Amino acid sequence: MQLLAAHHADESQSSSNSEQRIGFDGHLLFDLSPLPQLVLSPSCCITRVSSRFLAEWHVAREDAVGQQLIPFVEKQLRPQNSFSVCYLTAAIDDAITSRTERMSQRIVTQHATAWKARILPIFQEHELLAIVVEWLEAPATLLEHDEIVRPGLSTDEAFRILVQAVKDYAIFLLDTKGRIATWNTGAELLKGYRRDEIIGKHFSIFYGPEDLDIRKPDLELDICLREGRVEDEGWRYKKDGTRFWANVIITAVYKDGVHVGFGKVTRDLTERKTAESRLITAYEESEKIKSDFLANMSHEIRTPMHGMLSACSLLLDTPMSGRQKDIVHIMDESGQVLLQLASGSFFITSDIVGISSIITSVVRSVQTTLAPSVHFELFLAPDLPKSVQGDPLRYRQILHNGSIRVRALLHAEDDDSFVIMTEITDTGIGIPEPAAATLFTPFTQFDVTTTKRYKGTGLGLSIAKALAELMGGAIGYRPNPERHGSIFWFTARFKKIKSLEQIQDWKRGPNGRTESMSPHPSIDSPDLQAQLAKAATIKTLLLVEDNVINQKVMLGMLRSLGFKNVALASNGAEAVQVVKGKPAAYDLVLMDINMPILDGNEACVKIRESGIHIPIIAMTAYALKGDRERCLEHGMDDYIPKPVDKKPKSQT
Amino acid sequence: MSYTYDRDDEDSFTMANFRDHVDRATFDQILEMDEDGEHDFSEPLVFNFFDQAEETFGKMDEALARKDLDTLSQLGHFLKGSSATLGFIKIRDSCQVIQQYGHGQTVDGLSEPNEAVCLGKIKEAIKTLKTDMVDLEKAIKTFFDDAK
Repeated sequence: MQLLAAHHADESQSSSNSEQRIGFDGHLLFDLSPLPQLVLSPSCCITRVSSRFLAEWHVAREDAVGQQLIPFVEKQLRPQNSFSVCYLTAAIDDAITSRTERMSQRIVTQHATAWKARILPIFQEHELLAIVVEWLEAPATLLEHDEIVRPGLSTDEAFRILVQAVKDYAIFLLDTKGRIATWNTGAELLKGYRRDEIIGKHFSIFYGPEDLDIRKPDLELDICLREGRVEDEGWRYKKDGTRFWANVIITAVYKDGVHVGFGKVTRDLTERKTAESRLITAYEESEKIKSDFLANMSHEIRTPMHGMLSACSLLLDTPMSGRQKDIVHIMDESGQVLLQLASGSFFITSDIVGISSIITSVVRSVQTTLAPSVHFELFLAPDLPKSVQGDPLRYRQILHNGSIRVRALLHAEDDDSFVIMTEITDTGIGIPEPAAATLFTPFTQFDVTTTKRYKGTGLGLSIAKALAELMGGAIGYRPNPERHGSIFWFTARFKKIKSLEQIQDWKRGPNGRTESMSPHPSIDSPDLQAQLAKAATIKTLLLVEDNVINQKVMLGMLRSLGFKNVALASNGAEAVQVVKGKPAAYDLVLMDINMPILDGNEACVKIRESGIHIPIIAMTAYALKGDRERCLEHGMDDYIPKPVDKKPKSQT
Repeated sequence: MSYTYDRDDEDSFTMANFRDHVDRATFDQILEMDEDGEHDFSEPLVFNFFDQAEETFGKMDEALARKDLDTLSQLGHFLKGSSATLGFIKIRDSCQVIQQYGHGQTVDGLSEPNEAVCLGKIKEAIKTLKTDMVDLEKAIKTFFDDAK
């Protein structure tokens, strides 16, 4: 140092101005450098500070000089950033060891400025003389970013932690072969396997035997590769063998366009599934209770119904006025229907149906329940077939659930069947638009307000719907376009009675009036009686009957009904001969079936074969089931059982 | 027990018989065809029936002797028709038995291939038929006599 001082003195002697300027300038250069600077002793004690440092770090010289660097810096840092000071220590150590400059990581001071330290170790030979620290301000954008992803987490790290921490979902990666590559907390909780025991296993370990049999795991991966993702719901198995109802989504994972594996997310839906099955059980139970109830009801109804019907038939045997008889007939008829319904289960029979007669009888029975001011109209289309094959009871049942203008028409026809459209139009309260959608749903009524004005279970229309569908038809509703009110319609498919096709043509007479073969085609209604009386005087009948006694009785009955012109034949052969001889002479043939020489059925066939379409009505004693069908097959138009009740058919 | 055969007893006896033999509803339909309260239509009709029955019994006996099941069945059916029309139910039921067994069938419509069994049943039925017919005639006569 003496040498240096001497040299210094010497120099100052020779060129004192310049020397002085350089010495002064050297200090000044350090002090005025745009970079904040520090000089440290080898033991990291601050020995000099630049003015710029004091200004930028907002500290006084006396607070800095003489302090140890690390505690000093620590005091200046933003509180949440304190741990980063270790980067500084590390950088200094590194610089000293390598004897070259080093940059530290960023640190952020109280005034929200980020700094990087450039550390320059000053050596003379092997001796560390001093350490110069220059502070470089870090870009502001980095600061903002740092502020967002706070304490030093990289984006990757953040996502890893996020996935790892999720407990409610099992989220993990599979490699391209389906082997498990990652495992999160959710997966461990849900499936019961620890990370170390599951990594590397194939994911089919979670599937049950049924799924494995159909190779479901592989199929799912195939679909996933083809479509990018696949979703499934089903049973999955835990480590302990218990199962849970899972929703699984598998996504194909690509990195730079190369398939690297699958992402799998599994959710436990067991609770939802349980709730669902509880609902289903409850529904099934209520269905069962309902059908038990109905079965019970029907049993309970049958007993009093039998009593009522017996009373009805006794009442019918007593002398009554026409009007009274009408009413009792309605009771009897309605009772019969109710009894059949109560004892019958829900199936469709195949029987001969007289559409018009059913409608007429329903209309008749409903009419009496209406206020006299209600106008009731009935339109039967002229082309309505008279008799078809189907279930009369069910047809009637649907019809019964509605009223006021009834229209029946032939909706469609093919080789084997008719589709009959029946429309019931009323001018009542109508149905509000939103309720129209639930009309045919069981147990719903559109007026569910507490002041419910209309009675009922809400079952009628849903039963009608089920019945219409059973009969190969449909049911529907639309508002009455003319005025307030509703139009209900239904269709039903009926089989044609094949062998009667010719007769059908004949029967669709000009006025389309049809008579019935329902159990009680009542001649007691005044209207029909009048018609019958009128017809009786002008019609000529042929009675075919082999037994003299029966001939006499039938003649007596016909006479009492007003028929004056009745011819007789005592066997089938005679009848064929008579009819063929004078085809136009007779309006109707009453034919016994079981007769010697030629029986009724054969006689009928012979008459039809000769092209004569005269109406023929069969009579037979103690009909067996199926007799009627057999008669109709043979070309007869109608059938009455013997002993002949005083209710024979009229045919205009 | 001694049985005193006085008029009242006979009446109640025949009336009971009448109830057993005759379906009132059907028989009443026949009576309704009479005019002016006289049995001008029904009475001759019923006696015609008895004649018819007598004649048929004769034919039945002959057929039974020939063991002619077909004819027996036809005769059964024939008489069944008229008896049913008049409401003579006991007669009708016996005729039904004859018709069925003549066809080789039981009353329930089951097959009975044994001819001897069939003939036996028919023989029995004809016997019942004849006894019933006597009772019925008596009851009917009383009925019409009382009405006069």
